[in-house]
Amino acid sequence: MTTKHNKAGKIILEVILVLLSLLFLYPLFLTIINSLKSFGEVMTDVIALPQKLTFSNYAYVWEFINYPRLFLNNFIITGVGLLGIVFISSIAAYKLARTKTRWSGVLYFLCIMPMLIPFQSIMLTVLQTAKNLNLSESTWGLGLLYWGFGAPLAVFIYHGFVKGIPTEIDESATIDGASGFRLFFSVIFPLLKSVTTTIVIIDVMWIWNDFLLPLLMVNGSPETKTLTLAAYTFVGQYTSDWQYAMTAMVMAVLPSIVVFIFLQKYIVKGVVAGAVKG
Amino acid sequence: MLKTLGKQWREKFEFGIFTLPVLICIAVAFYIPFAMTIRYSMTKWNGISKHPKFVGLDNFKQIFSGDTNFSDAAWFTIKYAVLYIVIVNVLAILLAVLLDMKLRSTSWLRAAFFIPYILSLVIVGFIWKFIFMQGFNSLGESTGWAIFDLSWLGTPGLAFISILGVSIWQSIGFYLVIYIAGLQSVPEDLKEAATVDGAGPLRRFFSITLPLLAPSITISVFMALTNSIKVFDVILSLTGGGPGGTTYSIAYDIYRDTFQNNLYGYGTAKALILFLAVLVVTIIQLTVFKRREVEA
Repeated sequence: MTTKHNKAGKIILEVILVLLSLLFLYPLFLTIINSLKSFGEVMTDVIALPQKLTFSNYAYVWEFINYPRLFLNNFIITGVGLLGIVFISSIAAYKLARTKTRWSGVLYFLCIMPMLIPFQSIMLTVLQTAKNLNLSESTWGLGLLYWGFGAPLAVFIYHGFVKGIPTEIDESATIDGASGFRLFFSVIFPLLKSVTTTIVIIDVMWIWNDFLLPLLMVNGSPETKTLTLAAYTFVGQYTSDWQYAMTAMVMAVLPSIVVFIFLQKYIVKGVVAGAVKG
Repeated sequence: MLKTLGKQWREKFEFGIFTLPVLICIAVAFYIPFAMTIRYSMTKWNGISKHPKFVGLDNFKQIFSGDTNFSDAAWFTIKYAVLYIVIVNVLAILLAVLLDMKLRSTSWLRAAFFIPYILSLVIVGFIWKFIFMQGFNSLGESTGWAIFDLSWLGTPGLAFISILGVSIWQSIGFYLVIYIAGLQSVPEDLKEAATVDGAGPLRRFFSITLPLLAPSITISVFMALTNSIKVFDVILSLTGGGPGGTTYSIAYDIYRDTFQNNLYGYGTAKALILFLAVLVVTIIQLTVFKRREVEA
């Protein structure tokens, strides 16, 4: 009797939860349907479905913000940032975790301390430092800057993980004649695969969507803008043309959504591993 | 003797090769700018002239002796942070408990609640601005409900709620995932034993699940704390600080002073105060929560 009662309760609960999740995603649905409408349609009724699908908004925004170029920019910045963060953080975290001296403790602390520095406290001087080093106004330079900004969290996560790998593994590899980078890349790095996935996921979402750092660094010319930046300036110019604004939103967001749909399982797992370990 | 010396040098050299790149990058990204920030915070500077004028602690005196922009922004940020941390964590725990049950649609539901988190906050702000300004009109017309006729971005109190709501909407999926992970590490037999002992669902939740969730709570509150103190992007695109300057956060106020009003030295001094506040608050939070964790 109680199990039957439970089953009915479960089904009702499930229906409620599904309805709730649809309501939760309704704003995104509205964004998409309005990007497919004409100006007049958006103005008369936002919640109505488009009378006929018009893709002209997309053609217009594509051309106007030079979408392929921006996409490439985002790709370069995220790619350069990511490769660097993973490389420099993993080797450093490994060495710091394996070396047991006072120095390694101090250096480890110096590596992770910046997690507590709010970006707004240093944004002006970061901009100046970047200018002095000729890193501003270029997508490659921006990608390089992310190495330092992403490293504290990555070192923190890698460090915790390396501590769990038995040192016997290093020793036997050394006896076999591997040392230095050889030892690290052929023996240790493969063991760090799961935690590397976590770091890649967290950093891709962060760098791809980041706003303030690109705004300060590469806002000058349309050639170096990122997708989020372009959407921001575009909406600034077209505040009343909501159909274009919504189209720009969808186009800025679409790559992340596509990636998410394909890698959903790994993304949720990766965030869990990173957050819980960290 | 010479051989051991050689080995020592080689080890030191290798240590340097492995750790120097990260130290250089972090120095460029954080420590050099941070040192410059400390220096500029004691100057009067418009960002253009070659030589910033040294004024000692004048900026700090001015900030604390009646900068209403700063105190309003600080008050906004504190209110926002407290409400954000409490609401997002309570909702995420409730939702996680529901989604930890074996339902057929569990994986869809988790994905659905996570999706807004993969969007940039600036874009989320714009999407909601559109919903509040245009969408609510249509929704009001078709439902006749009064809540859609309110000016959600145009009245100070409501604009605050809007910012809070939108931030929670965007990020709840992230906390949800952390709590689901935490729940999965709660041993099943403990819950069963409690059920056998006659504990109802509520009793089980408060006496078993919640205490064992403590590590997840520590992490989530830490994340919610550091993120909410720095709230900026969503305000920029949603309200732009309005109406009447009532929704400026500290981060936004610093941005406004340094980049819009060209008060470089003054803005930097505020930035330093923000850093100290974040430092103190996070250290307190982590110690208090860690202590509770051990007890649990």
